[in-house]
Amino acid sequence: MELLVTLRKKSLLEKVTPSVDGVIIGRVFTSGYHYTLEEIRDISTYCHENYLKCYIAMDNFISEDDLETLDAYLAFLRELDISGIYFHDLGVMERAIPYGLLPKLIYDGKTVLCNSLDTAFMLKQGIGSAVISRELTLSEVRHIIQNNSGRVDMQIFGHLRLSYSRRKFLTNYFKQIGKEYDYLNKETLKLVEEKRDYALPIVEDDQGTMIYSDYIFEMVRELVEFRKDLRAGIIETLFMEDENLIVQICRDFSRLTIENKEFIRNNLIYNHPDNYATGFLYQKTNINKDE
Amino acid sequence: MNKIELLAPAKDLAKAKIAIRYGADAVYVGGKFYSLRSRASNFGLAELKEIAAFAKQYHARVYVTVNIVFHDSDYYGIKEYLKYLEHIGIDAVIISSLALIPIVRREAPGLECHISTQLSSLNSEAVWALRRFGADRIVLGREASMNQIEAIASKVSVPLEVFIHGGMCSNYSGRCVLSNRMTLRDANRGGCAHSCRWKYRLYDKNELVSDPTCLLSMSSKDLRASAYVERMIRCGVASLKIEGRMKSEYYIGQVVKTYRRMIDEIYEQGSLDPERLAYYDDELSKAENRPADDGFLSGECDSSKHLYGVNGAGVTHDYVAYVKGFDAVRNMAQIEVKNVFACGDEIEVFGPEIDNKRFTVQLLFDDSWNEVKLANKPTQILYVRMPFVTGEGDMFRKVRRNDD
Repeated sequence: MELLVTLRKKSLLEKVTPSVDGVIIGRVFTSGYHYTLEEIRDISTYCHENYLKCYIAMDNFISEDDLETLDAYLAFLRELDISGIYFHDLGVMERAIPYGLLPKLIYDGKTVLCNSLDTAFMLKQGIGSAVISRELTLSEVRHIIQNNSGRVDMQIFGHLRLSYSRRKFLTNYFKQIGKEYDYLNKETLKLVEEKRDYALPIVEDDQGTMIYSDYIFEMVRELVEFRKDLRAGIIETLFMEDENLIVQICRDFSRLTIENKEFIRNNLIYNHPDNYATGFLYQKTNINKDE
Repeated sequence: MNKIELLAPAKDLAKAKIAIRYGADAVYVGGKFYSLRSRASNFGLAELKEIAAFAKQYHARVYVTVNIVFHDSDYYGIKEYLKYLEHIGIDAVIISSLALIPIVRREAPGLECHISTQLSSLNSEAVWALRRFGADRIVLGREASMNQIEAIASKVSVPLEVFIHGGMCSNYSGRCVLSNRMTLRDANRGGCAHSCRWKYRLYDKNELVSDPTCLLSMSSKDLRASAYVERMIRCGVASLKIEGRMKSEYYIGQVVKTYRRMIDEIYEQGSLDPERLAYYDDELSKAENRPADDGFLSGECDSSKHLYGVNGAGVTHDYVAYVKGFDAVRNMAQIEVKNVFACGDEIEVFGPEIDNKRFTVQLLFDDSWNEVKLANKPTQILYVRMPFVTGEGDMFRKVRRNDD
């Protein structure tokens, strides 16, 4: 299994290099990352020189108006010889074919890849791998991975994306209440519903608005079982301000074994008392209200 | 060129029949399994068979939603279900699981595969990809603007379906699991709790930055794309879709009839002038109970397209009765009461063959022929003296007075 980390700050690159197999970066066009093309080139070059894989996130939808920009971006990425592209929009797959990038594509449907048949269907199209959804129980994860061994990626740590909208919820809200506020691309804003106390991180950028889980998902103990059959495990670092903690987490995952998994998990939870949870791994969602 | 299709929702058999009688070219319905909107009544196997047969009489088509985001255990029985749908004459399934395409091709090749808006197809390349996978029709995401729809339609040969009316997810369809987190109800398997419509406080770190008198809501106004129907016809969209499998028979009848007449008028006259458009908008507003706008069709959705603390739209009419039959000798309509009305109220009657004819209720009788002054028992059968002919399937609505 490749151990990958989302590189939200360039300053982390050298610090995580000893622990991870690759990094995931991107630009605001098609992703929630904010690197310029020059920065992407620099990071890619560094990765090549340091035997680190460099993946590009394109985990947003693309409008018809943006297809030309997508073309130019794909040509740029081919030139960089990047390791792979995480894509969300099926249009990226179609457009990547003439660039010879199809085998480097990794489908990340976020919420829509919940079974082994759809995973196999996507892989059959010639792409390299697919990221399974986060709303799965442990047995469902096990089933998908067993049926698509070595070609499945999975988020193994970090806040989970709960929703994605083209609507600019914060812009519209502050306009509605007539308040000037610095909110764009800000990672410190949280929504708390009237009757519940979950504090859900919310981020708005040029592409729209995304809302994330209040907790940090972790599957330290469970990963040991799956590791040999996963193509890649992804550490999501969004909303994590403490660079030392990110480095520590990367290091912990890189040395994770059956013997030390409890120690590593306990160390994480006791030394960094954030809100950790195993997400839906042990929590089945219901199909309707009455279940 | 084929005439554009008007596609209507129905949550049960009665509403599906109303949609077809009121002018829908096709209806989409959910079965008991595999379908979003789990709280809709949904169709059992016998009801699916009945609506398929009923639709054939009207040369209408029936599509069945198989559009949940499948987990592995959800596929149980799917092959038999698809074979059954094909056998009884269903025309298409609306799917979001791409793995179903080869299964449909193999097990039930007579069914078309329509790709649900759950996949948020928003560009021509995505449409081509889905076509290559074997899709017969693509439902575009509601985030596409009219200009983008025209551009996509000009580049692809696969039939496109576009939403023109009804509720909208405030997030990309299929990409929201807020409900899963907040209520453990799976948004993408029919359990959506509409958490986006709830009210939220906004904090920056620990500081409250929202206005306590107007909390943040992601709730969007409903969609009303009447002003774009003509452009959709011209650019070659195949199907115009009305949202609302949870809606009432009144809503279905009124919305379907209005769009039916609008589409026919555009084909007959070549265009629709502003006065006629205003007339049709007024007709649509008689069915709505939430504010509506044109969504992303005109571009971005700014704050005016959101709902903050407002749910009602100022209802102008109340649906009060459904016509079960008409006695031409006595000029009496047999009606089923839906909402309160009384002798002296002004009633507007509309139906597949009747346009907004008004009368004042003079004489009402119960089924023992006792005179009744007030109709206030829902589902009660009453008889009302009519000044004109009405027929089964017509509906009565009461015009609201300012003091109502």
